[in-house]
Amino acid sequence: MISSNAQTSIEGILLKAARSRLPQQPDDACEIVPLAHAYDSARPEANVIILTISSILFRLLLVFHFDDDASTREYFSKKTGDVPLQDMLLEICNLCCGAVNQDLLPYFQDLGMSTPYVLSARCLPYLEGLKPDYLSSYAITINGSVKLAATVCVCAHAPIDFVADMTAVEETSGELELF
Amino acid sequence: MSKILVVDDSSTVRDEVAGFLRKNGLDVETAVDGKDGLLKMKSSPGIKLVVSDVNMPNMDGLTMAEKIRGELVNTTVNIIMLTTESSPAMKERGKAAGVKGWIVKPFKGDAVLEAFRKLAS
Repeated sequence: MISSNAQTSIEGILLKAARSRLPQQPDDACEIVPLAHAYDSARPEANVIILTISSILFRLLLVFHFDDDASTREYFSKKTGDVPLQDMLLEICNLCCGAVNQDLLPYFQDLGMSTPYVLSARCLPYLEGLKPDYLSSYAITINGSVKLAATVCVCAHAPIDFVADMTAVEETSGELELF
Repeated sequence: MSKILVVDDSSTVRDEVAGFLRKNGLDVETAVDGKDGLLKMKSSPGIKLVVSDVNMPNMDGLTMAEKIRGELVNTTVNIIMLTTESSPAMKERGKAAGVKGWIVKPFKGDAVLEAFRKLAS
């Protein structure tokens, strides 16, 4: 129910969002490689951060897996100050999902986004139980040492076909739009 | 001094926004969701500007804005939404609720500081 054009577009939108929102400095290297399964890089005892984008036509789940290791803590805790690392990661995932949401808006007007929530990585093998029309996972490495992963899972309620315009557009986030 | 209320369920955002505004000499109070924001509005009459997230548990930011205008009958406080949401439908609901402006996250303090000063004065 999701055309190959739409699948390519969703992948492009996700990877663009990951590259722009996950690295904490503009010059940080961000390498993204497709994974065979959503749960390849997650340990069963680990947690994942999940957000959803819903429309009349589909429900999209974004799953972020973070390794709780020294590199990850050091990289993301630079900006946390007194804020717990998990709270910082929740907001980073929120920004990443928000960027996906913004890039889908030109094609779907009725989108609604959830707040981020934490689940056990044990739920990941059950994503296939949702019978998704599109399921894809990526290993993400920042600066060669910070390892995380992202999974996108889309369940369509109707045929979806669109081609996202992936040409660079001016970054308008952060500006005040007065009514 | 007039006060700014920052409403966000993310402690990261609350710390970032409130910290930036305080560092620049503004008086800031924080709330963790719309329900808490509404309570702070009732207890702190000096608040002149509300900077609020949209998607929050317990009460979202747009519902809070509607209640500030409706239940609290406060027509003067300026309300700005700071959110990852950018859909025209959400903005229209915000306008109808008396929201003055919209900022798509991430927060860039330097881009909005002077506007915040004016709206909080």
